[in-house]
Amino acid sequence: MTTDVDVVLVDDHLMFRAGVRASLDASVHVVGEADDVDAAITLVRALQPPVVVLDVHLPGGMGGGGAEVITACADLLSTTRFLALSVSDAAEDVVAVIRAGARGYVTKAITGPDLSDAVRRVAGGDAVFSPRLAGFVLDAFGTAAGDVATGDDELDRLSAREREVMRLIARGYSYREVATELFISIKTVETHVSAVLRKLQLSSRHELTRWAAARRLL
Amino acid sequence: MTERLPLRRPSRGRWVGGVCVGLAAHLGLPVVTVRLVMILLTPFGGAGVLLYVWFWVAVPAGDPAQVAAETRPAALSRLAPRLREPGRRVPLTDIGVGLLLLVAAGLLIAVRAGVEIDYSWVVPTLILVGGAGLAWSQLDAVERGRWLSRAGGRTPVSVLRLLGGIVLTGLGVLLLVGQDAPLEALARSAVAALAVLVGAALVLAPWWLRLVNELGDERAARARESERADIAAHLHDSVLQTLALIRARSDDPDAVSRYARAQERELRAWLYDDRTTPGTSLAAELKDVVAEVEDTRGAAIETVVVGDCVPDLATEALLQATREALINAVVHGRPPVSLYLEVAAERIEVFVRDRGEGFDLAEVPADRFGVRESIIGRVRRRGGTATVQNKPGRGTEVHLCVPTTEQEGEPR
Repeated sequence: MTTDVDVVLVDDHLMFRAGVRASLDASVHVVGEADDVDAAITLVRALQPPVVVLDVHLPGGMGGGGAEVITACADLLSTTRFLALSVSDAAEDVVAVIRAGARGYVTKAITGPDLSDAVRRVAGGDAVFSPRLAGFVLDAFGTAAGDVATGDDELDRLSAREREVMRLIARGYSYREVATELFISIKTVETHVSAVLRKLQLSSRHELTRWAAARRLL
Repeated sequence: MTERLPLRRPSRGRWVGGVCVGLAAHLGLPVVTVRLVMILLTPFGGAGVLLYVWFWVAVPAGDPAQVAAETRPAALSRLAPRLREPGRRVPLTDIGVGLLLLVAAGLLIAVRAGVEIDYSWVVPTLILVGGAGLAWSQLDAVERGRWLSRAGGRTPVSVLRLLGGIVLTGLGVLLLVGQDAPLEALARSAVAALAVLVGAALVLAPWWLRLVNELGDERAARARESERADIAAHLHDSVLQTLALIRARSDDPDAVSRYARAQERELRAWLYDDRTTPGTSLAAELKDVVAEVEDTRGAAIETVVVGDCVPDLATEALLQATREALINAVVHGRPPVSLYLEVAAERIEVFVRDRGEGFDLAEVPADRFGVRESIIGRVRRRGGTATVQNKPGRGTEVHLCVPTTEQEGEPR
């Protein structure tokens, strides 16, 4: 029923790669592995897989980690999607990879089925938000009642609905549960999350630019 | 003690430059003996004085015991430095030497002006030696200042003293060389000498700059090294201990996962969090509560915090209610347990969610004090609301909300 997905796994810890490979569903095939920035760029360019699962912190390259890999493969972003997987709790790490072009961010505590699900979701062009990433978004865009976007083209503020979705995700709701809670379809939830991801990538809100500047991305 | 203290010139107990005290500490001899030897050596061509001056110049100032402590590996040393003994407030020796030099300079100028004293070359020599001594002692005061504070010890007073020393030395050299020359010729030669000095400075400047840069690099490398030692010490104290503990208890999965979780949290806090002062951050206090529940119940709680504020009575009640709700979720519900805290301008909200079957508030027996009193009652007494949402197949969610207290003088 589920479609098969090829992924490339990028992480500098052999044991962790083995663990991820073992926990993924049968429908998710690991077609390649890399353990530093340069090897990852070469491999991704050669294979052009639909999904790359990569750690935020990677050795090699110019020290830019996962964000550097994504930036170097920026021309592939329409066909190859990146999902960041990290133990880091630091806001600037998360924001750095998202702004570089990653389609989602999950923590390494994620279970195998959830990770497989996230990979398929990213492959389908959707965004994947962990509760913690949703928390960062709310922190960065503010939760004050008056701070609500009025138009769709406004990048620096969230709409009321987007904020509701983010709050539910931060509270630990899955997309399906968010949809039931708000009486909307899963597709609509995905649309909202994608919109938030776009704002996160393009917004010039100063909290975001500050985080990005901390990693010298601007 | 088998190890010798390093050779330093302590500021405590010194008469002139602290050379004898330092030597005595280094060699393990009584100070009196060292001083006596120095004085006895002096008649032999001034050997004692020369030796003293050489040590004064060559040996850096500092407390030998403290230097010994600093060179020990970071993992073995105390974290908090010992209290420093207060040094002498008034630098009596320096003031004495300074006054002496001023008198000598005055005398010299008087001689130049016409007063006949036949010591015309002894006095300049004295001034020269004194001035050089002052400048040298100044250099090492600068160094001492760097040790004491990171500001660098560049106080106006130290610059003034350095300049004074240089001027006196220059004066001494001039007068010594041009003993019989008239004042006018002296002034002209002073200008010429100054020009030569400036030329030499221009030539030497790049070399000197490079030296300064290398010094900076070296200092940065040392800072990195000490940070690395700091990290190694921390890993040794925490992570390695926990790993050993885990290996010893490997047959008990509950204990292993609890140790791993506690260690992960501690390491995370150490790596990513800024240390907050106690009593200033609700987020930090919430994390403490989560840590306590995780440790005692051995469950993982996914925590997301948005915003932060200074704790008060209302948030205190909110935290205690949150704690009860977390314990309830861990014990009666099913994992994963999620916790969400949001601090907004007008209210603070907490959501605690688990995936268990949940419970109906109406069916909770009156004697179950837990939910009714410790969660709901607590929050309501602070003007807040508490609800328990419970949907079949979607777990249980406790929602706590308290209004923020108005900030004085800040209408919101």
